[in-house]
Amino acid sequence: MVKVLDRKVWRDLSAMKGQVLTIAMLLASAITVFVGAIGTYMSLLESRDRYYQDSRFADLWAEVERAPRSLLGPLSEISGIASVEPRVVKDVRIDWPASDLSISGRIVSIGRRSETALNKVTILRGSAIDPSKQNEVLINAAFAESWGIEPNDGIAVILNGRLQTFRVAGLAQSPEYVYGARPGSPLPDDRTFAVLWGGEEAVANAFDMEGAFNSLSFSVAPGSSLPRIVADLDRLLEPFGGRGAYDRTEQPSNRFLSDELAEQRTLALAVPVVFFAVSIFLLNAVLGRLVQAQREQIASLKALGYPSIPIGLHYLKFVGVICAAASVVGIVLGAFYTDGMLAAYRPFFRFPELAAHVPYWVPAVGIALSAAAAGSGALNSVRRVLRLRPADAMRSAVPGHTAKVIGVRLNARAKMMVRGLVGRPIRTLVTILSLALAVPMLVLGLFWWDALAYMIEVQFDRIERADAIVSLTDARPERAVYELAGIPGVLMAEGQRVVEARLRAGPRTYRLGLTGLLRDAELRLPRSEDLAPIDIPKSGILLTTELANRLGVMPGSLLAIDLLEGRRTSATIQVSGLVDEVLGYNAYMDIDELNHLMRQTGLVSQVSLKVDPRQTSSIWPELSKRPRIAGTTIKSVLLQIFDEKVRSIIIIAAVVLTTFGLIIAVGVVYNAARIGLQERAWELASLRVMGFTRREVSNILIGDLAVQAMAALPIGLLSAQGIVSLLLGLRENESFRIPAVISAGTFATSALVVIGAAVASGLLIRWRVDRLDLVAVLKTRE
Amino acid sequence: MNNGAYLGTSGGPRLRGSAPVFTARALFKTYGTGETAVHALRELDLDISAGEFVVLLGPSGSGKSTLLNILGGLDAPTSGRATWRDHELTGATEADLTRYRREHVGFVFQFYNLIPSLTVRENVELVAEIASDPMSPDEALSLVGLSHRTAHFPSQLSGGEQQRVAVARAIVKRPDALLCDEPTGALDVETGKLVLAAIERANREVGSTVIVITHNTAIAGMADRVLRLGAGRIVGEEVNASKLSPEDLQW
Ligand SMILES: Nc1ncnc2c1ncn2[C@@H]1O[C@H](COP(=O)(O)OP(=O)(O)OP(=O)(O)O)[C@@H](O)[C@H]1O
Ligand SMILES: [Mg+2]
Repeated sequence: MVKVLDRKVWRDLSAMKGQVLTIAMLLASAITVFVGAIGTYMSLLESRDRYYQDSRFADLWAEVERAPRSLLGPLSEISGIASVEPRVVKDVRIDWPASDLSISGRIVSIGRRSETALNKVTILRGSAIDPSKQNEVLINAAFAESWGIEPNDGIAVILNGRLQTFRVAGLAQSPEYVYGARPGSPLPDDRTFAVLWGGEEAVANAFDMEGAFNSLSFSVAPGSSLPRIVADLDRLLEPFGGRGAYDRTEQPSNRFLSDELAEQRTLALAVPVVFFAVSIFLLNAVLGRLVQAQREQIASLKALGYPSIPIGLHYLKFVGVICAAASVVGIVLGAFYTDGMLAAYRPFFRFPELAAHVPYWVPAVGIALSAAAAGSGALNSVRRVLRLRPADAMRSAVPGHTAKVIGVRLNARAKMMVRGLVGRPIRTLVTILSLALAVPMLVLGLFWWDALAYMIEVQFDRIERADAIVSLTDARPERAVYELAGIPGVLMAEGQRVVEARLRAGPRTYRLGLTGLLRDAELRLPRSEDLAPIDIPKSGILLTTELANRLGVMPGSLLAIDLLEGRRTSATIQVSGLVDEVLGYNAYMDIDELNHLMRQTGLVSQVSLKVDPRQTSSIWPELSKRPRIAGTTIKSVLLQIFDEKVRSIIIIAAVVLTTFGLIIAVGVVYNAARIGLQERAWELASLRVMGFTRREVSNILIGDLAVQAMAALPIGLLSAQGIVSLLLGLRENESFRIPAVISAGTFATSALVVIGAAVASGLLIRWRVDRLDLVAVLKTRE
Repeated sequence: MNNGAYLGTSGGPRLRGSAPVFTARALFKTYGTGETAVHALRELDLDISAGEFVVLLGPSGSGKSTLLNILGGLDAPTSGRATWRDHELTGATEADLTRYRREHVGFVFQFYNLIPSLTVRENVELVAEIASDPMSPDEALSLVGLSHRTAHFPSQLSGGEQQRVAVARAIVKRPDALLCDEPTGALDVETGKLVLAAIERANREVGSTVIVITHNTAIAGMADRVLRLGAGRIVGEEVNASKLSPEDLQW
């Protein structure tokens, strides 16, 4: 007898092709997003961990002005320090005539024992440098690739004011520059920032650093207390201009990478997980209703004497076939999704190898969860039917007299519709809820475009008003501002003072470039959450909201500041307000106050410029020719990088979510309509027999769908806003803060898609009603 | 239309009325093709007059329901021609057939086919709402003796009561044709008689032409004429000199 039921599995599957297909697609979408997003995250984590391990990424760093090698002995005796590596690290400028924009760089010395060194430099192409040769360098692959530099090419570098030409021995990568942003720039610009590795002697000679170093990296014995070691190091290094030792959490590349992974965790993980959760709820509801529609069949199987278990198994097999097919598709598409995301990350994060590492449990969990959702949806319905006595199951329940409740005199067909909805309130609510959740499925994909547009507007238009920010090699008197203002085409110039600082609040610290702004600054306008400009306080400090959260402070709290340049003064200052920014954690104070804390007056270290857009082609090269300019961040270039890199990452996720959201929304609406028809086919055919027209009959069902869709839309729109805010509120991250902005257009599009799917399903109902087999209906009782 | 052309080839005597309302000529209905083809009707000819009460008898599978469904505009023959008055039933569009059913035909089936979410009165109202000259639903319900149960839902009624609601629903529009397929098939004797009485009143008081399919030969006593089907053809015909009332039927 089981054989016959098995045949019924296949027959049901083919009889309900449309529904089976949409449910399978829904499920496959959910699994794809789950596997793809978690796979991406796991792959990034795994690639990072492997790379850090293989390349012996340091645990601690410290920079000093200049310290003699004789200090290495005492340093290595600090308990917990496993190894010390001294280096010379200097900022340089690259003389690269092909570029209009000035290119800044950083040269790092590598010692002879580089094979066992910390922060091992991996040669991707070409060869290692010969330490005995003074004129060879390795160059970071990102920069080389963006300019087409090959091994053996020459590169001219201005070291300490002297132009020197090197031979590029090879293209390389180091764990310290996985995320290779120029200091002070929020995004990595491969074209205007280069990392060079040169022989110890060559670099030391160029900077008169023979027998000395200005940068240290350390590995630490497992289990040692980092804060204590940092304190010990700071004490030892202070006399040498120590800027404060720091661990991986403050190493710029790693910090950004961690933040980005946190971003992935919330956005590429939480969003898909919510997406997945909603999908499996929908799956559960859809399958539950589909099985519920077979109520009579189940009841008659039971009446025939079939035990409950084979009946349950029968429906599980039905669901199992759908799940199996969907899982295969979901895993394959999920693998593509992972590859696509990793490809988008590759130019952003420079791992020597960024490959998919997806643990087996990821697809297993995805499939298990969806199979459980599908199976329980089906089984619940089967159980509900089996609990009834066969006679009751085969008889329909007595509906309430609802026409009077509504108060309007309805015709009999309208009463049929209303009672259909009100008579089975739970089923109606679940249907409305499923239709409603179709809206956030779409919004979760579509809102990214809104968020991006908003981010760009706020960050690059409202907050950052300057077209270019010129960083000077060192702090200089205000005269530097007038010099730059004098360049033809420069409309406005504003000096700023940026000092490397450590902010402390109890045990929490954060290292950053503290920005001093003019009180009446116009080119950089910190803004509050509602985008109103916030005045720079005369005393006190403004923090971005995220930074304040990270430090656990509020307006009014006191904050300790260690200035890590110059005389290394410390001060306690009050947090006077919070500002909202999209890019970066920032802290602002009055420039005079900052100079005052530095025991200096009237110095600037960077200059913001507003320029005539028609003259940029002469202004940018002019800037790159001027001395004492360490680098220039150009807004249009930053925007372009943002567009190329950040967007590509977000857009892939957005396109995938939008596509699958669409599939799910359509699948849910279509199934609601189809099941509605299935449940009422018999009734509707009876009406047709009585002489009701096809239009009249389908309108009952279409009306039913329309009422549910209309009830669903407002719920859907509200829940979309809620879900997006909730997801984005979960995050603490500094690279970029994606705002929970959903445009009216996105809401409208999502609603229209759901309405469109409902209309299409309505047409389909009409088409089906036209083909109802009236005679067949008469041979059966309901 | 030109149904008059067939008048002379009538399949049997006409007891009431003059012109036939239903005519069928050389009706074939074949399901499937080739080896597995089933011939439900084979070259069937038929004439039924206005106001006539016809009972269709015949073994299971002989094509009774198929014939009734074609006459009721629910099904189309494979070939041949069927008309109702000047309505061409074969080759008519679906919309025309729908209008035909809506305006002229009432159906009663073995399974009562009531709408479970509508009360007894509402089930009747459903049809009254789309009829051009309906009687009031209460009148139709009193004709079937159910005036006291109008506010109940079908699931609260017995089978026989449900079938009487189905009859009330079929006659509320004062149908020109009342087509009944085994209306008493699921009922006991006494209940069956109540249902038949309701059908008979429709025939008498509304003037509907009635065709009743049954396996119960006793019911044939109510008819003006009894037609026997066998293997898709009419194989016998009896005209009752006097009709019995339902109460007098014995089975
Ligand atoms: N949809 C169909 N497909 C194939 N064969 C069919 C179909 N409908 C009816 N038949 C066949 O047509 C023949 C006539 O069927 P019909 O329903 O008219 O019989 P009937 O005289 O009403 O029988 P019963 O008294 O059992 O109701 C039967 O042999 C039946 O098997
Ligand atoms: Mg039959």
